[in-house]
Amino acid sequence: MNISMKRIQAIFMKDYKEFSRNYAISIMVFMPFILALFYNKMGINTIDAYFMTINLTLAMVTAFIQSCLIAEEKESNTLRSLMMSPASIADILIGKSSLVFSISAIVLALTVYLLGYKPANVLVLALALAVSIVFYIAVGTICGLFTKTVMEASVATLPVLVIFSFGPMVLGLSEKYPIAGIAEWLPSAQLILLAEGLETAMPAKEVFISFAVMIGWTIAAVVIASILYKKRMTDD
Amino acid sequence: MTMAAIEVTNVKKAFGTFTALEDVSFTINKGEIFGFLGPSGSGKTTMIKILTAQLEQTAGEARVLGLPSIDMKKSENKARFGILTDNSGLYKRLTVEENLLLFSNIYDLPKSAIDEALEFVNLTDARKKKVSELSKGMIQRVTLARAIMHKPDLLFLDEPTSALDPVNTRHIYNGLRKLNDKGTTIFLTTHDMTEAETLCNRVAFLHKGKVRAIGEPAQLKHQYSDHSMTVELMTGEEHILQLDDHTAAVKLSEWMSEKSILRIQTNEPTLGDIFMQVTGSDLQ
Ligand SMILES: Nc1ncnc2c1ncn2[C@@H]1O[C@H](COP(=O)(O)OP(=O)(O)OP(=O)(O)O)[C@@H](O)[C@H]1O
Ligand SMILES: [Mg+2]
Repeated sequence: MNISMKRIQAIFMKDYKEFSRNYAISIMVFMPFILALFYNKMGINTIDAYFMTINLTLAMVTAFIQSCLIAEEKESNTLRSLMMSPASIADILIGKSSLVFSISAIVLALTVYLLGYKPANVLVLALALAVSIVFYIAVGTICGLFTKTVMEASVATLPVLVIFSFGPMVLGLSEKYPIAGIAEWLPSAQLILLAEGLETAMPAKEVFISFAVMIGWTIAAVVIASILYKKRMTDD
Repeated sequence: MTMAAIEVTNVKKAFGTFTALEDVSFTINKGEIFGFLGPSGSGKTTMIKILTAQLEQTAGEARVLGLPSIDMKKSENKARFGILTDNSGLYKRLTVEENLLLFSNIYDLPKSAIDEALEFVNLTDARKKKVSELSKGMIQRVTLARAIMHKPDLLFLDEPTSALDPVNTRHIYNGLRKLNDKGTTIFLTTHDMTEAETLCNRVAFLHKGKVRAIGEPAQLKHQYSDHSMTVELMTGEEHILQLDDHTAAVKLSEWMSEKSILRIQTNEPTLGDIFMQVTGSDLQ
């Protein structure tokens, strides 16, 4: 695969300029702060509550913004112009994702701080969040590539929100309804399990399993996004 | 030897049950400006999309710059061509200059390429304007600037001047000729027969899925001429005479000795006439 830092940087800079002038979408980055401050003021300080906000951020900021940016490029035919240029699939997908990755990382760091959440192992948590961001970016890309307009794309991220952000809550029902246990394998649920484990010195093997599940989801989503992108290069 | 820039052999394109191109063949030599003409919906844009790997033909062979057209998908071949179509979009929130900057970086061009491209389309004064504030003709010119910025070997222009005023149109014709002089082959579609005639070395007429006529404009005019002339007399009478008719010469010399001829004109068809004859339709 041919990757060019110059092209990636050019696409990143372009996206940054567009994003900073697109208030309808950039306003979304403030949503998690409000939620975090609210939880903080209420004195809610459980891991579940922290991750309610964090998983919401991943869906409403990471996946939502990414899907809107991709859908807007499709709607205005600029994605086709990029595809007709020497920028490779990797250049375009990495370039277009790096802005949302940076934004997500900053927003999540601030949200964690505002929540008053002090993880026992910051490094492992940061790594887990980074993997999660990549996963939600890929899911956002899929939503953006599947839909034709920004409107459709923002609606398409709603199921993502419901499944991945609220999915882990179903786990509480798993004693009554064993089927709800499936939710444990959601990347968002694994993120919570991992975070809880970090507080109680979880065995390395379980940390590894949580990462493996999250990385598995991420690879699958990236592959689907790439295939979908290749299909969008033609009109057939 | 002149190498072919584009070779299309028996290309067919069907969308489901609808056949847009039935059996199209033509060759474009390197260095040519080639006009692809035809009524709306005849498949001109479809052909450009096949040649630039945005569509795959149902049957037949299309070669671009010596390679199967589908290879134009590869990023290493994309810098070799430039394209302007109605699905070439710009970033509305960015300025003209910012739009071009993105692509000059993607093509790895020096900063001067932006200035040259803006000069090419006569938009130097509008460089700081946001695309969302531009007129239709200005947007078309920015898109053209982007298509020519990297001085490609091959340029696809799908109705490049459809929204332009005569002054800008002429400015762009001059620019395209200069680009062509430096070796760029140009594949152009247009509904403007004057444009085809002033710009193109050769043209092809596409109708109902096939190329119905192809050649140099002058040669086609000769071929489609009915070899007649119109003689207008002082009296206001008009006579149409066949050029290869002996009796015409007699009549002519008679009128000449009477000094009664006001005007003589050979009836060569225009490209527009040929278009209508070939397609059996009016310009759309
Ligand atoms: N993706 C597609 N799916 C189905 N039909 C299509 C598709 N693209 C084009 N067509 C059809 O193919 C035919 C040729 O379209 P095309 O756009 O190539 O015409 P054109 O010669 O460029 O017309 P115009 O001069 O109006 O631009 C039309 O009937 C059009 O409806
Ligand atoms: Mg067309």
